Amino acid sequence: MAELLLMRRFEIPDSHTLRVYRETGGYQGLAQAFGMTPAAILDEVKKSNLRGLGGAGFPTAVKWGFLPKDSPKPRYLVVNADEGEPGTFKDRYLLERDPHALIEGMVIAAYAIGSHLSFVYIRGEYIKPFRIFSDAVHEAYEAGLLGKNLLGSGFDLNVIIHRGAGAYICGEETGLISSLEGKKGWPKLKPPFPAVRGAFDCPTIVNNVETLCHVPHIITRGGEWFAALGTKTQGGTRMYSVSGHVVRPGVYELPVTATLRELIYDHAGGIPRGRRLKAVVPGGSSAQILTAEEIDVTMDVDGLRDAGTMAGSAGVIVMDESTCIPEALWVLARFYAHESCGQCTPCRESTGWVEKILARILSGKGRPEDPDNLLDIARRGAGTTICAFYDGAVNPYVSYVERFRSEFDYHIHHGECDVQPGRVVTGLETR
Amino acid sequence: MSFAGQMIAFTPTQLDEVRRLQALYPDPRAALLPVLQLAQEAFGFISPDVEEYVAGLFDLSPAHVHEVVTFYTLFFTKPVGRHILSVCRTLSCHLLGAPDVVAYLKERLGIEVGETTKDGMVTLFTVECLCACEMAPMMQVNDRYEGHLTREKIDRILERLE
Amino acid sequence: MPRLTIDGKEIEVPAGENLIEAARGLGIEIPYYCYHPGLSIAGQCRLCMVELEKNPRPQIACNMVAMDGMVVHTQTPKVLETRKSIMEFHLINHPLDCPVCDQAGECWLQIYYMKHGLYDSRFVEDKVHKPKAVPLGPHVILDAERCILCSRCTRFCDEITKTGELGIFNRGDHSEVGLFPGKVLDNRYSGNVVDICPVGALTDRDFRFQVRVWYLDTQKSVCPGCSRGCNIEIHSNVRRPHHAQGRRVARLKPRYNPHVNDWWICDAGRYGFGSIDQGRITFPQLREGGSLREVTWQEALALLIDRLRAYGPDEIGLLASPEMTNEELFLIRRLAETLGVKNLDFQIPPREPGDEDDFLLRADKNPNTRGAEAIGLWPADRGLDAWEMIEALRREQLKCLWVFHHDVTRCGWPEGAVLEALQAAQCLIYTGSNVNGIAERAHLVLPAATYAEKDGTFTNFEGRVQRIRKALPPLGDSRADWEILGECLEALNAGPKPTRPEEVFRALAHAVPAFAGLTYRDLGEYGLMLREVAHGASR
Repeated sequence: MAELLLMRRFEIPDSHTLRVYRETGGYQGLAQAFGMTPAAILDEVKKSNLRGLGGAGFPTAVKWGFLPKDSPKPRYLVVNADEGEPGTFKDRYLLERDPHALIEGMVIAAYAIGSHLSFVYIRGEYIKPFRIFSDAVHEAYEAGLLGKNLLGSGFDLNVIIHRGAGAYICGEETGLISSLEGKKGWPKLKPPFPAVRGAFDCPTIVNNVETLCHVPHIITRGGEWFAALGTKTQGGTRMYSVSGHVVRPGVYELPVTATLRELIYDHAGGIPRGRRLKAVVPGGSSAQILTAEEIDVTMDVDGLRDAGTMAGSAGVIVMDESTCIPEALWVLARFYAHESCGQCTPCRESTGWVEKILARILSGKGRPEDPDNLLDIARRGAGTTICAFYDGAVNPYVSYVERFRSEFDYHIHHGECDVQPGRVVTGLETR
Repeated sequence: MSFAGQMIAFTPTQLDEVRRLQALYPDPRAALLPVLQLAQEAFGFISPDVEEYVAGLFDLSPAHVHEVVTFYTLFFTKPVGRHILSVCRTLSCHLLGAPDVVAYLKERLGIEVGETTKDGMVTLFTVECLCACEMAPMMQVNDRYEGHLTREKIDRILERLE
Repeated sequence: MPRLTIDGKEIEVPAGENLIEAARGLGIEIPYYCYHPGLSIAGQCRLCMVELEKNPRPQIACNMVAMDGMVVHTQTPKVLETRKSIMEFHLINHPLDCPVCDQAGECWLQIYYMKHGLYDSRFVEDKVHKPKAVPLGPHVILDAERCILCSRCTRFCDEITKTGELGIFNRGDHSEVGLFPGKVLDNRYSGNVVDICPVGALTDRDFRFQVRVWYLDTQKSVCPGCSRGCNIEIHSNVRRPHHAQGRRVARLKPRYNPHVNDWWICDAGRYGFGSIDQGRITFPQLREGGSLREVTWQEALALLIDRLRAYGPDEIGLLASPEMTNEELFLIRRLAETLGVKNLDFQIPPREPGDEDDFLLRADKNPNTRGAEAIGLWPADRGLDAWEMIEALRREQLKCLWVFHHDVTRCGWPEGAVLEALQAAQCLIYTGSNVNGIAERAHLVLPAATYAEKDGTFTNFEGRVQRIRKALPPLGDSRADWEILGECLEALNAGPKPTRPEEVFRALAHAVPAFAGLTYRDLGEYGLMLREVAHGASR
């Protein structure tokens, strides 16, 4: 059983308190970091091969390195706690059960990038995590771990907790920045990238909660050690959120070398009710779906990319043989249509269009050309939008239709479902 | 400006909080979301009068406040009930029975999705992924998440609402 | 200056220029909706995507600054296919309103569909429905379904007028342009959003259902509404007189001039063309007994000359107008010199102070005050100015007053005194285009053409001389002031009458140092500044 880094405190009572955090070795990484130069910290993170765990999988040290060397403007560290990717709930656990790990990671990161003001953007629905995290921040201020001259280092850092108001697109880093600035969560045109011009027109680094929680471990155990836990291109462990048709849904921390099969069967207990696995979404809803034959893949960023899908947010949604795939796709299509911010034409118009086509197929009025049209619509829009939201929608649109084409054709040809015969899909709650 | 016959205005304490928030950020406009959240708590929902009032506190046109309010799902532009039930309808919850949860709640409460019970106690919404898929099917009841919903559990939750 | 290659052709452009403008410099048109050179970059429509050699994905041209060595392709199969896709996305929820939409014929969905679309529609779902025919204010009406959410209008209200009335509410394909409930789009430049709206979402209430745009003729001119001199196009409907209640000028549109008004015009100027077709004086009139009767120009001119010869120079007053062109004002000066008349002026006080702002509006509601000053329409030594002429008329010292355009009965002067003066006049000659209080009281009324019915030049408040061009023939029997004055001068043996305004301008440029060296050809599209600042003659 591999060593737990992120989840090691989860079962300890009062794990969210400063007392427990310190008793279990917390804030030693910070003390150690203050004895290093920012450049040295950056170097460790680089050696660690830590990659962003929010969805994009971008190498963290490379992102930090994009900050301009000579800008007189203040730098901001923004923590993306706007967890929203369907199938993902790991950050919620971290905020509720180990908030100080995030704080410690934030302070080290802020020190490394030269930021004295950090924003934590928590999705509006996360009220309990917000309260727990706020209390932890309060404790940290009281203990001199936030505010001025932290641990006598001379380094100052203030934290502002900013609650979202209900919009998945605010998990996109520039959508988050727009929302932080008090506007609609409309993503910004890139270039310029946030590291050059981000929040309030200043250089900004946006990092995921889990990514930052790894930083103290990288400092205390060293980047090389962290890298060795994983593959050549991605180090460490990550928390996999498993849900859907499994015996034990929940979060599981494993090295990134673990396979999807291990995760589903060895850890999450396999498929309940004696049913067979049909399909898995390995990286949050925006990842391409895999069939039951495709689960012998390592769940690192490159491994899943090479398998034709993506690691994304590591939200693993398991579907057994009772699942109607067109219906599953329609549910996601409705999600993307509802969450499209509406700023750019291809996404705004085609997310709505795709949802309508799928609703029509499910209600028995599908047309033979629908699946090919759907694929064509998706492919024409991909790569044309302001942000990757639409590309995230395209992944399921294309992969579900391609891998389960016969199910769509059946619905269209017969006007009903072959997986759940007799099931009447009525009163579809569309948007 | 009035709401239910009352002037829309923050109390002095609330105004202090508004100013504190505006001073906290590098740009005072960034305080718009927390101030709207404050307004929603204070006035129950965000009417055009509230938007206009908040716009005045920020030197923004009311149209731009209205843009923000209508963009986010947690800002209510119509009155809501004492309790808000938001049932998640995205993939894992749907696979594990969210449509049945919604149907059952509509039946028990006697309302459609988006409506409030006649006694003003409960408003029923469906929402997208609340990121609690491990407890699917689930819903948010005011401040807290309630998962692994069954008819029995739903009955218990409804009973306990005051 | 960066040097780049677009579709195989090289061009050098100013630093900071985007690829749309760079391509335009080579005559290559990259299609776009949300981009506007006068507004911030939105990057929302995605229509302007082009391929760049070092980039695997197409990029939007509006947000890409031209860099040295860039190689851009705007006509590759991928670009053309992408344009088709973007066109399709724009059209799927767009209502099939063309038969009832004013924008038809100048609609950028139509135009770009024909150029870059030409695919078969495959959308069979129900379209998203939004409010239609919603008046936003006195001048603009919204059809939210037609809107392609390019955000040009919201950016205009934020960045140009800074009034922020418009917003885009909701999200996804339920996004909707609109006003805050209960508010009105009534800033003084509201009509500009109709120009910049690429489709029929924002249309002119005044122009609604009047005439199809393909029946319109267009002519370049300058707005006479104030001393700013915003450049305009006059769109006239003479081909379908049974439309638009027979009014000839269908609408005015601003014309781009980076030195004067950029792309914009105020609402007062935009909608102030009613007097061109309404309430016109269309034939010469002579007062006999108590009333005015129609006469021929031959009769009218004969009588005019007779009267001018009948009085001594001290008994005659000439009240010119800053509504007149430089050419016409120059001819009045010649007339004064020919007759020896020293009582000459061009200004009367306005009824109310004009409104002014820090954008385009100027308090002086005349188009050529600067021209009148430069040409010197002041009283000559010890001649009477405008008010003195009125008083002299009242005392019967001045016998004959020729008023051009001013309605002296409705201005800042006390009405009673003015009416007395007009009553006392032995010979009151009025040259103007519209029926008004002085026309009713004149002895001789000479119908004048409006600015839309003649060529000429105005000089704006900064000293920019700009051409106006004849868009329509003078209504009825009206004639341009320069023609009337030309006839007059010829009859007074002051030289052959000019055949066109350009002749007069040449003479003006020779005679008045401020205009030295200017020619119609050089004035071109954007006009030119006066060569030197002419000081008003000291009084």
